Amino acid sequence: MADMAGTKKTEHTKAVSRRKFIQGVIAGGAGASSATYLFRASGVVSGAGARERLITLNVNGQQRRVDVMKQETLAMTLRYKLGLTGTKIGCDRAECGACTVLIDDVPRYSCSTLTHTVRNAKIVTVEGLAAADGTLHPVQQGILEEQGFQCAFCMSGFIMATTGFLKTNPNPTRAELAHGISGNLCRCQDYDKILTAMMRGAELMRGARHA
Amino acid sequence: MAVIRDVMPAFDLLQPSSVADAQRLLAQHGRDAWVMAGGLDSFDWLKDRIKKPKVVVDLSGIDELRGVRSTSDGGVEIGAMTTLTEVVNNPIIKQKFGLLSQGAELAASPQIRNQGTIGGNVSQDARCHYYRAGWPCYRAGGNICYADTPTGRNREHAILDADRCVAVNPSDSAPALIALDAKFVIRTSKGERVVDAEDYFIGPDIDITRLNILRPGDLLTAIRIPSAFAGAQFYFEKIRDRNVWDFALMNVASAMLVSGGNIDRVRVAVNGAAARPLRLKAVEDAVRGKPKNAATGEMAGRLAVQGAVPLQFNAYKIPLMRNLVKRAVAGVEVSTRAS
Amino acid sequence: MPNTVDTNKSAQPVYGGKNKLIGKDYPTADLYAKVTGKAKYAEDYRAEGMLFCRLLLSPLPHARVKHLDLSAALAMPGVKGILTADELPAPADSLTDNGTVIRANKLGERGLTNEPLYQGEPILAVAAVDELTAVEAIEKIHIEFERLPFAIDPLDTLRPGGPNPRVGGNIWHRPPAALMKPGERPAPPPPIEIKELKWTEADFAEAKQGRMPMGHVPEDPANSWSYGDVETGFKNAALVLDETFVTPDTSHQCLEPRSTMAYWQNGKVHVYTGTQSMIQTVPAVARWLNIDPSNVVLVSEYTGGGFGSKGTAAISLIIPALLSKKCNAPVMMRISREEEHFIGRARPSLTGRMKVGFSKEGRIVALDMFSIINNGPYDAVGDAPTSGRIVSLLYQPQAMRFRGLTILTNTPPRGAQSAPGGMQGISLMEPILAKAARKLGLDQVAIRRINAPEGKPPFGAANSQGKRAYATSSFIKQALDRGAEKFNWNERVARNPKRIGTKVRGVGVSMSCYSGGSTGFDGLTLIKPDGRICFQSGIGNLGTESVIDVHRVTAEILGVPWEKCDVCWGSNSKNVAWSCVSGGSQTTHAMTRAAHAVGMEAKLRLQEIAAKTLGGKPEDYEVANERVFRKGGGAGLTLAQAAQKAIQLGGIYDGHESNPDVNRYTKASIKALAGQGLVVSARDKYPRDGSTYSFVASFAEVEVDVETGKYHLLDFLAYADVGSVLHPKTLGGQVMGRSVLGMGHAIGQKWVMDPAYGAMLSRRFHHSKPPTILDIPARMEWAALDIPDPETPVGSRGIGEPPVGGGCSAILNALSDAVGDEVFRRAPVTPDTILAALEAGRPMQHPLMAHI
Repeated sequence: MADMAGTKKTEHTKAVSRRKFIQGVIAGGAGASSATYLFRASGVVSGAGARERLITLNVNGQQRRVDVMKQETLAMTLRYKLGLTGTKIGCDRAECGACTVLIDDVPRYSCSTLTHTVRNAKIVTVEGLAAADGTLHPVQQGILEEQGFQCAFCMSGFIMATTGFLKTNPNPTRAELAHGISGNLCRCQDYDKILTAMMRGAELMRGARHA
Repeated sequence: MAVIRDVMPAFDLLQPSSVADAQRLLAQHGRDAWVMAGGLDSFDWLKDRIKKPKVVVDLSGIDELRGVRSTSDGGVEIGAMTTLTEVVNNPIIKQKFGLLSQGAELAASPQIRNQGTIGGNVSQDARCHYYRAGWPCYRAGGNICYADTPTGRNREHAILDADRCVAVNPSDSAPALIALDAKFVIRTSKGERVVDAEDYFIGPDIDITRLNILRPGDLLTAIRIPSAFAGAQFYFEKIRDRNVWDFALMNVASAMLVSGGNIDRVRVAVNGAAARPLRLKAVEDAVRGKPKNAATGEMAGRLAVQGAVPLQFNAYKIPLMRNLVKRAVAGVEVSTRAS
Repeated sequence: MPNTVDTNKSAQPVYGGKNKLIGKDYPTADLYAKVTGKAKYAEDYRAEGMLFCRLLLSPLPHARVKHLDLSAALAMPGVKGILTADELPAPADSLTDNGTVIRANKLGERGLTNEPLYQGEPILAVAAVDELTAVEAIEKIHIEFERLPFAIDPLDTLRPGGPNPRVGGNIWHRPPAALMKPGERPAPPPPIEIKELKWTEADFAEAKQGRMPMGHVPEDPANSWSYGDVETGFKNAALVLDETFVTPDTSHQCLEPRSTMAYWQNGKVHVYTGTQSMIQTVPAVARWLNIDPSNVVLVSEYTGGGFGSKGTAAISLIIPALLSKKCNAPVMMRISREEEHFIGRARPSLTGRMKVGFSKEGRIVALDMFSIINNGPYDAVGDAPTSGRIVSLLYQPQAMRFRGLTILTNTPPRGAQSAPGGMQGISLMEPILAKAARKLGLDQVAIRRINAPEGKPPFGAANSQGKRAYATSSFIKQALDRGAEKFNWNERVARNPKRIGTKVRGVGVSMSCYSGGSTGFDGLTLIKPDGRICFQSGIGNLGTESVIDVHRVTAEILGVPWEKCDVCWGSNSKNVAWSCVSGGSQTTHAMTRAAHAVGMEAKLRLQEIAAKTLGGKPEDYEVANERVFRKGGGAGLTLAQAAQKAIQLGGIYDGHESNPDVNRYTKASIKALAGQGLVVSARDKYPRDGSTYSFVASFAEVEVDVETGKYHLLDFLAYADVGSVLHPKTLGGQVMGRSVLGMGHAIGQKWVMDPAYGAMLSRRFHHSKPPTILDIPARMEWAALDIPDPETPVGSRGIGEPPVGGGCSAILNALSDAVGDEVFRRAPVTPDTILAALEAGRPMQHPLMAHI
């Protein structure tokens, strides 16, 4: 499969059926994907400095082999190649924050991050927060206790933004927290209750650290 | 051809690890190449499918473009690919050149500041909603301005120095850098060039299709802030509709050295008034040597807006600029209310 | 100012009294899935061989497709099919439950079109193996348009010689039904038509002065009514104000775009989508596709916001369903944010004019109200008539005349948005009330109190029998009183000085109300042989948690601990009850009634089973603590034993025999559940005297910088009269969330459109400006009166919508308190408006100039 990137446009855009392609992926031992989407070759011949399409990503502590187009965003890779649909796409334009993930502990909009640019980074999504035994992360627990959020489409982005912010400021005031997670929109406009829940999460997190 | 948005065209992603490599790739691909820093501005163009480059040259892997270094003259040099968050949190910048920290922190949102770079912030394109929606206007190479008509929507547009195009520069860090007398370091095919911050930006009279002097193949590599205004009195204010993730209706930055109550050295810049961030040299000259007080501020404000021409929906920008410049010179009366 | 220095939340009152569940907080069952990212929204589903679909949108506001060449697109590898308007099923008439035919509107929205009526309207849809292919195929489609006249502003199309947004006119007209001959069945009403309405130059004379022109209004009882003697009222009034005010068009912009995945299997269409209303979406999908509802399988477990825009089915569900059929493969249609701005619905702006006469005590003695709604091109929204009805209820004018017009334009289609019409009507009235209080020297709370509804307050015009409709109850005066106390209203008003430096503070109060509930829906509960109890919920899950909260009523009645209860929701394949549409704040009221009914029915069935098993009469037994047992102690059955017994008894007890009262959808579910335990169903047949409305008193303080026009929201309090509190934390979320939704209209949310091109310029969030977490008041609080509504067994009413008008108007009123009455004449109020007016010393805003 590693030769995909180097193959000529005509061989791929024309006749390769999706099914054949998937079989090829599996036969090639690269069957990382739980779903198939946007598998088409980029159609551009590689130039100097180009990278191969088949890459390894460190997601939620696991090494995941995945075939990624050059123009593919991390949000799409997570959702359509790795089956991690907890990361949401609300605007795809770096405006709403629903796609926020941690990249090397830093909250970033995954809709506006090319997957190829985070090959060597540690990526954490909402699916990677709870412990293996199901114990929730304190930020998640805070939401449960305060009934934070309504429709919750924005929730995973807010959780990741908060988790990232608390790494830099574990004991924020309500106003500081609001500034820290101000890159996320909630259209249910449940901001006040979200802040209460996240402040509770921060409190639980500090407690967990001291314990 | 029908128009459709929201899927990036296929391109090849080139990820050089040195400035030299990047320059080689840009030379090799010429007009087919698109330079990407943090990518926030780039992705809009690409997702709207208005720009369809064959290759994208990603600068994020070039270590020499990152980081903040103290310079021997007591200033700092900031790599162009340093993120806005790094600029905001850098202790030296905070301590000596807090004006830049203030301006950078008001840009966009936390996630964007975590990814967007100082070089990208000063080099980003105009946000005029006609231009960004792909309308064939002057700036896009056409022969019309859609905003500057009796019914065109131009609440956000220019009051000064307009020439056919009435778009404004959207950067929040640019006026701070101008006020700090920063120098921009540019790598061209012919070598390195250093320009004053205010000379990095150009208006439509010079070139209507770009907001800065970079030509294809050029790279902004660093921004140097000299020590001249280290620890000076600073003023930054940004007026925007929303309190986060919104472009400035207008912003103002000033750096000032005051001795004995008189303004000794001063630089003032505004953005959101014209296609480039404006250094208000006439204001600086007029207030130099004057006491830093309300009267000087009033005078500065009035002077700043001389020659301003409002469009249909942006007349408010004249008093806004006048008052912001007034504050930038004289300071603002602090509310003493308990809460 | 102790009220603002203290940043700790003051303690909430204790709700729910001695109840175990009703009025108490608990974590809802869907939260774990939500916080872990496991909750599946529409775009999270995958199907083998799934295709992706993209839409070709009209670049023009009104045009006719003259020529369409799909050949290059269809020739592309990976393109699986293209759906055009010509292939859509014919609009189907529908039957109501009582057999009335509802004629399909043949001029209504169909999903795809050859005559686009707004910029961004879908013309065709392309399915391909991936999105990039679909997009590149669309770019290969050659399409030629014939441009047609367009209007984006309702007043433009009313002008003499003004453009018509649709061929044939600018308003809807329903021809009168044919006269019924004795002995004949009534014919279905004739189909709705489009007619032209133009006003005269004389009518428009006032527009130049920024006053809304008021021309002819066609005869229509919903849109042209009056009661009392309006003219005499004005004559005797101590103060008469005549004001024009305009509210913004605002897109719903649910954070979840209305993406949908659909496929067909064994003749049934499976639709994975986000909808506000689960079971009610099934017949709606059937109607759009013109198929039998039994062939619809709907899956909607989590919905990422609705606010009225995801009521039931819509074009976003129908296009992938039809393309899937055409391509014989599952089709996912991801909707982009820009597409969401076009097809995702919006609240219509209201251009309004109000003449109000006040007594010197501030009582509204006469009111003349005229509402013009910018409807977009398709089916009429109800905002115009509702604006009049809400104003008549909330302010109880002694005499009132209402005129309303719903004008078609070439702008994206509107839909109901939280408090449709009510929010706009309140935002029209409140600034006038604030101005009147200042002119009459009255306190702002006092002038609202004197006009506030109480008892069973009437609203609207009298019917043909001379009777006026009325609300079930209103306790808003108490909400005003308690709210004013909690907000330290008097201290804030007395603050001196109001201005420090360049910062001026202002305080505002607003009343607000909206409909709060319907009646007549079903409850369906399964008590399983293991003693667990399952509530079969047909309610949509849009985040209000009413899908779960209402079932606490049944558990409370049966004395079952909540840990033993499950709520089954998310698909009609899960055998759920017929439930209300989750819109109009109906659900809490309607479905607590149904939950109460099914609880009482379950109690009765348990008593019968006990009597049959243990002897005696049913009334000898009582139900509590998971048991049915002989009164005064003694023999009894656990719920598990009773459920086992129910299966033995069969018939009405285990669902083999259906309850004749319930809806056919509930009956189908009962049939499917039969034999699994004690299957209990009931229809809400409780009486109700009056229409159900909920009320809120809202208070706000703002601080304006007079040198920049920039202002900040400092404090906000909403005091709600919503009947009995069902779940405090979700209620609080609704009260505060909907208040902020209202505030968005005051502080910044809008459309920006270019009138010369009919084009939407605000395609992004930073253009349309929904509030961020930093735009909300620094301090927000809420409380509820917790007074039960007298006309519903649980006492609870809906709350989704009532706070919206108050959120907007309390801010508007605080702003005018700070900077004066003459600064703004439309919403939103942005820094440019304030600064320009303060600079000029007069209003600089032309109220009738929209979309800037």
